[in-house]
Amino acid sequence: MRCLLSLFVLLMGLFATVNSYAADAPQPALTTEDSSGPQVVQPIEFPHDRHAGLRNPSDPTNSDPLKGGMEIDCMYCHTYARRSAVAGIPTLQKCIGCHQSIESVRNKPRIQELFKYWDAKKPVPWKKVHDMPDFVRFNHERHIKRFVEQQNRPTQEACGYCHGDVKQMTVARRSKGLTMGWCANCHQKDHPVTAAGGTPVGNQAYWYSFQKPVAGTAGGEVKAQDTNNIKAQGPNDCWQCHK
Amino acid sequence: MIDSGLDRRDFLKVLGWGGAAAALSGCGNTSIEDGKETVVSYVEAADYAIPGIGVYYNSTCAQCDAGCSINGRVREGRVLKLEGNPASAINRGKTCGLGQAGVQHHYNPDRVREPMLRKGDKFETITWDKAYALIAEKLNGAKGEEVAFLSGGVSGHLKVLLGNYLASIGCKNHYVYEALAPAVARAANKKAYGIEMPRFNINKAKVVLSFGADFLGSWVSPVHFSQQYAQFRKGVDGQRGVLIQVESKMTLTGANADRWVPVRPGTEGILALGIINELGMASGDIAAAVKGYDRIRVSKETGVPPGQIDKIAALLKLRSPSLVLAGSAAEGYAHGSQNAAAINLLNHVLGNVGKTIEASSSVTFTQMAPAKGNTAALKSLNDGLAAGKYKVLFSYAANPVFTAPGALKFKDNLAKADFKVSFAHYLDETALQADLVLPLDSALEDWNTQVPEYMAEGAQINIQQPLMEKLHANTRGMGDILLALVKQRRAEEYKSFDDYYAYLRAAMLQNKGALGGGGADDDTFWNDTLTKGIVKLAGSSGALSGKASVVGLTLPAPSAADAQYPLHLIPGVTASLRDGRHANQPWLQESPDPLTTIVWDSWVEIHPKKAAELGIKEGDILEVTSRSGSIKAQAYLFPGIHPDAISVPLGRGHDALGRYAKGYGANPFQILDAVFDQETGELAMHETRVKVSKTGQCVIVVKDEGSAGGKQMGRKIAVSMSTDEVDLSKEV
Ligand code: SF4
Repeated sequence: MRCLLSLFVLLMGLFATVNSYAADAPQPALTTEDSSGPQVVQPIEFPHDRHAGLRNPSDPTNSDPLKGGMEIDCMYCHTYARRSAVAGIPTLQKCIGCHQSIESVRNKPRIQELFKYWDAKKPVPWKKVHDMPDFVRFNHERHIKRFVEQQNRPTQEACGYCHGDVKQMTVARRSKGLTMGWCANCHQKDHPVTAAGGTPVGNQAYWYSFQKPVAGTAGGEVKAQDTNNIKAQGPNDCWQCHK
Repeated sequence: MIDSGLDRRDFLKVLGWGGAAAALSGCGNTSIEDGKETVVSYVEAADYAIPGIGVYYNSTCAQCDAGCSINGRVREGRVLKLEGNPASAINRGKTCGLGQAGVQHHYNPDRVREPMLRKGDKFETITWDKAYALIAEKLNGAKGEEVAFLSGGVSGHLKVLLGNYLASIGCKNHYVYEALAPAVARAANKKAYGIEMPRFNINKAKVVLSFGADFLGSWVSPVHFSQQYAQFRKGVDGQRGVLIQVESKMTLTGANADRWVPVRPGTEGILALGIINELGMASGDIAAAVKGYDRIRVSKETGVPPGQIDKIAALLKLRSPSLVLAGSAAEGYAHGSQNAAAINLLNHVLGNVGKTIEASSSVTFTQMAPAKGNTAALKSLNDGLAAGKYKVLFSYAANPVFTAPGALKFKDNLAKADFKVSFAHYLDETALQADLVLPLDSALEDWNTQVPEYMAEGAQINIQQPLMEKLHANTRGMGDILLALVKQRRAEEYKSFDDYYAYLRAAMLQNKGALGGGGADDDTFWNDTLTKGIVKLAGSSGALSGKASVVGLTLPAPSAADAQYPLHLIPGVTASLRDGRHANQPWLQESPDPLTTIVWDSWVEIHPKKAAELGIKEGDILEVTSRSGSIKAQAYLFPGIHPDAISVPLGRGHDALGRYAKGYGANPFQILDAVFDQETGELAMHETRVKVSKTGQCVIVVKDEGSAGGKQMGRKIAVSMSTDEVDLSKEV
């Protein structure tokens, strides 16, 4: 009897849960690493490809929007990314700064729309395309410092690790999973979980495969004090992302 | 709960499964708000405005009038956190809990947002133009002496502007009322030392003997004294300072003392004279005056054992310099001034004056010095109102309907004024009685200058400046309102000032030289001033002039027992709630009282012995009745209180103010008798006698200490037993 009752409660619990999210329809499909986020409708359909896309060598005046972009550096507009944990959204002033002197497109509907906001001194209500749960803290500045400034990789490549090939998009769309396992994919590759090989690993921070860090494998012998000396630091410390 | 054999653990497991399923659907592999949430960018942004990066501005804490300088972190245009400004000698980078809650004053959902005019029982929203016009109209129908202005302790340029406004309407009735201001102390200090607020150097003392001065909690400048106290504890010349606290109800400071001496309420002065006698250091008429106070008599009258008195005297003799403080607990009696005089005399006898008590600097612009006042001022306003003297009454930064002793019947008298204007942050008890309510900017949105009463080192003028844009479009700064009002009368004189900011800037620049900006151009000086948030001045500090004197010092015999109302009521002043004006800041309600750990409610502190005598246990709802009224609150058995006294904390028991204040706890102000200090005419806060009776109800006291209700409620967690009962060999 007792057993039955327990089972009943268990089933009810599960049922209630299933019910509660069935009602939440439609459910997005679980994404894989390369699957995309939802197609987001923006108040102004901002063409990333036109701004950041590669130039078309056969069109030196860059006049045909269908044939090439202007190779503007991501950070020209997304200027906060290298200075802050959050990338923010470029100010409206930034758009206007250029567009007030680009007469050729001044009468295009999207640009007219843009100036409407500017004249009213109202911000454009962009929709968020890349969102993280509130318990995750991703630091843009650190990644840009590392890849662009220290390792001299091209900005578009560095940004692209997480944001995908934006230069080919019009309105940006999420193209990476952005889950913890997905983050770990890179971090595991580039910061092996050994004290000798990569970033030192914190005692509490062995979430890759939930294995204990092995200290001093390069030297062969593992000494107790080696493991004790390992300090939590860098991306292997839980706290770095879950503050 | 159903008795199913499904225990708590199984139940949690089931919930856990449900939770996991919910998590999968909730955030699982997808990001949670993609394409749903709006990200709003700046239209234009200053270079320093970077999303995610804080900018910091210096300003001044307005939660109490100690004048701590604060430094606010602002991110994306929103103020997030306040810290102390290290450059201020008053608070050196720290704030108290009350100060921390300043952001909740600013973001409070119950702030008044529109000017409101009474229509019968209700208020209706009106425009500012209409409100100003209405004030002008009412003032035209009233003579200067028929107008009164009630305010809290204003200082700085606001006080100057207020003075000018009152002059312009010919009103001489400015009543300054701060319910907990140390008014008796000021008068007593003036007599003993020649100034109202000397500098107390706790850090230079080797012994501090405090008669009910809660300097770590709420007395005068608590953040400053807390830091001095830390130095005092480290010790002068390696000798750790010793703190002795004499009081009838344990305060936060009392709880930190090396020796806590419970004294019969009201006999602090007698004890002080007894100590002087015991010291044997006095001569002449002082010696003659204290001769009668031998240890046996003093012990009998104060309830302090003779051995204690010996020890205190011996310690004071041994370690010099010391410091004796007279706090509000000693001064709250009809003979409060006498008590304070006796205590201050002790400092003279011990030779502390000039060593641990020094002259303080004061700002040379005396018109900016803080306006002071306490219940004596309120009482004369109250008398005037009762006599129907006033047609128009303004009130600002005071809530007398809540804080006036019940016996004054202030609320009834207030109704006799024809037109009442309240400048308010919240619809508090006083604003609710007003005819016109004008909404104020929060302290984090407003411009001002503030001059603290207690100066730590040199003199200083504190700058209060907006940390962010206004939250609500229709609130106004108090300075802006006064400027608009004064322009109604003296348009010509004030026409060059568009707003209070312009006035403030011009006024500061005019005295640039005296403010330490000689030589700098205007903009540099002004920007520098705003950046620092403090203008430090050399100030003027005279020598202490008072002399030790026993002239007029007569202490009454301890009060006789009152058969009908046998207990003394000690209104407790807590560090976070003070007089209750900030009770609508939930952090203050939820942070546990440091001594009882009770949250969100009032309590009656009663000595366990007394409680046993009356058959009272923790959680019993008691009715506390005085000659002026009664309140109900839960009993809390507390050994840190004299058995002849009970204490109820001030600040709670609002029936207005806002959602976090209204209906929580009881208001002891309501039942205070109208007994006044004979010399200063200030309210004798501790003179009210009460009786307690059980109502028959009982609740579980919500507190951090122990487990709920002191019981385990059948759960086998954290069994409490004293350490000597534990047999470790059995436990392992
Ligand atoms: S003592 Fe506390 S509330 Fe008063 S000014 Fe200082 S920080 Fe603010």
